[in-house]
Amino acid sequence: MSPARIIRIALTSVLTAAVLGVVTLWALAAPAFDPVGAALAWSKQRGEALVGWYASDPVAATPQWQSMHMRVAGGDPARGRQLINEYGCGACHVVPGVPGARGTVGPSLTSLADRAYIAGVLTNAPGDLTRWLINPPYFSQDTAMPDLGVTEADAKDMVAYLYTLGGFE
Amino acid sequence: MSEQSTLGQFDSQTSLIPAGTGAEGTLVLTITMSVAATLIFLAVMAAVWLAWRRERPGHIWWLWAGGFILPVIALVALMVGSTFTLASIARVDRDALVIEVTGHQYWWDVVYDPDGRALRDANEIIVPVDTPVTFRLKSEDVIHSFWVPSISGKIDMIPGRVNELTVEASRKGRFRGQCAEFCGLSHPLMAFEVVVLEKDEFDSFTAGLSDEARDADTLQLKQGRDVFLNEGCTACHAIRGVAEGARVGPDLTRVGARAALGAGMWRMNVGNLAGWIADVQDMKPGANMPSYNHLSGPDLRAVAHYLSSLK
Repeated sequence: MSPARIIRIALTSVLTAAVLGVVTLWALAAPAFDPVGAALAWSKQRGEALVGWYASDPVAATPQWQSMHMRVAGGDPARGRQLINEYGCGACHVVPGVPGARGTVGPSLTSLADRAYIAGVLTNAPGDLTRWLINPPYFSQDTAMPDLGVTEADAKDMVAYLYTLGGFE
Repeated sequence: MSEQSTLGQFDSQTSLIPAGTGAEGTLVLTITMSVAATLIFLAVMAAVWLAWRRERPGHIWWLWAGGFILPVIALVALMVGSTFTLASIARVDRDALVIEVTGHQYWWDVVYDPDGRALRDANEIIVPVDTPVTFRLKSEDVIHSFWVPSISGKIDMIPGRVNELTVEASRKGRFRGQCAEFCGLSHPLMAFEVVVLEKDEFDSFTAGLSDEARDADTLQLKQGRDVFLNEGCTACHAIRGVAEGARVGPDLTRVGARAALGAGMWRMNVGNLAGWIADVQDMKPGANMPSYNHLSGPDLRAVAHYLSSLK
């Protein structure tokens, strides 16, 4: 072992011991200025926050924009299902969950929430579907679907039920 | 007449909640028979229990009493009771108001006062309360059976014969009737409604029955009437004042005023009417009416609105 190498190891050891000694003394003296303790406390807090965020199931908390935009304000799906039966929608449409609704005149309303357009003329959104139910011939003058005298409140409830069929949930 | 049909209402089609003299007699007879049968069953079980004990009576008169006299008395009593009940139900009142009902596959042709004014309607029978009504029952094709469980017993409608049944409804209301003899593919879809009204309401109803149909008073209703006339509907259906005479299908003069469509099976509204016209064979398989699925959308809507307006 060369003398130069011995000197380098000795100097490194002395320096390391000196630094450790100073740090130990500082820690034992518990000074007001404590960057090490502050760093430890910060990393602990951040770590706990991160673990807590994962534990809270952040995927479920993410807003489902696709299904949220199909939510009908003030619509009652249970009443809508009843109304779909009473207005006779089932004479022309298959409507899952409505007794006897197995018509083949118009399109099946299975998975209606997944469709992009209504009757090929309106976008599939709560407001558009509601207006369509109230007066189909206004939007498509050659449609075979008659205006059934549906009130706005009734239409909203029926739309609320129709959007429970299929969709992103 | 209320707008709401009896579809799906349990108490509108049951002989356990009677609304007519025939159904009341049947219910009393049913209860009497059930009570008597229960008492006899209990007595027999008691005798069996006695026999299992070894203390048998040594008298032969037990055999005569229990094996001959008791059955004779019980059976004669029940037979007399049931005979009188059935006779009173089957009695035909010659002086009563007559309503002629003819069964077709799969609907009911109704004619009020067939020997006089002969007012024609279909699939809904209006009768006055507390008044004897004699139904004159016929069939146009196969054997049907006329049954309104809440009001009376049932009686077959035989082709080539006339059966009669006098009923008397004892309270106002809306009751369901059903064809009770298998008559073809859509036999389960052959129902009707009986509406029981006060006598004066009944009189004003029959007075209105000879009127012509309500006029088409908007562009869409006129278009609907033209579709009805041009598409051949008049070959089978009559609308008084518009197209007379055809009797193959139900009279449509007051179709929109009926609570139900398709012989008591669907709620009467524009939606069901449009679906019915476009696809009868899907809603009522085997019916004589073809599916009118060649109509354009606007024509279909117009004719559905027109029929719905006929009240």
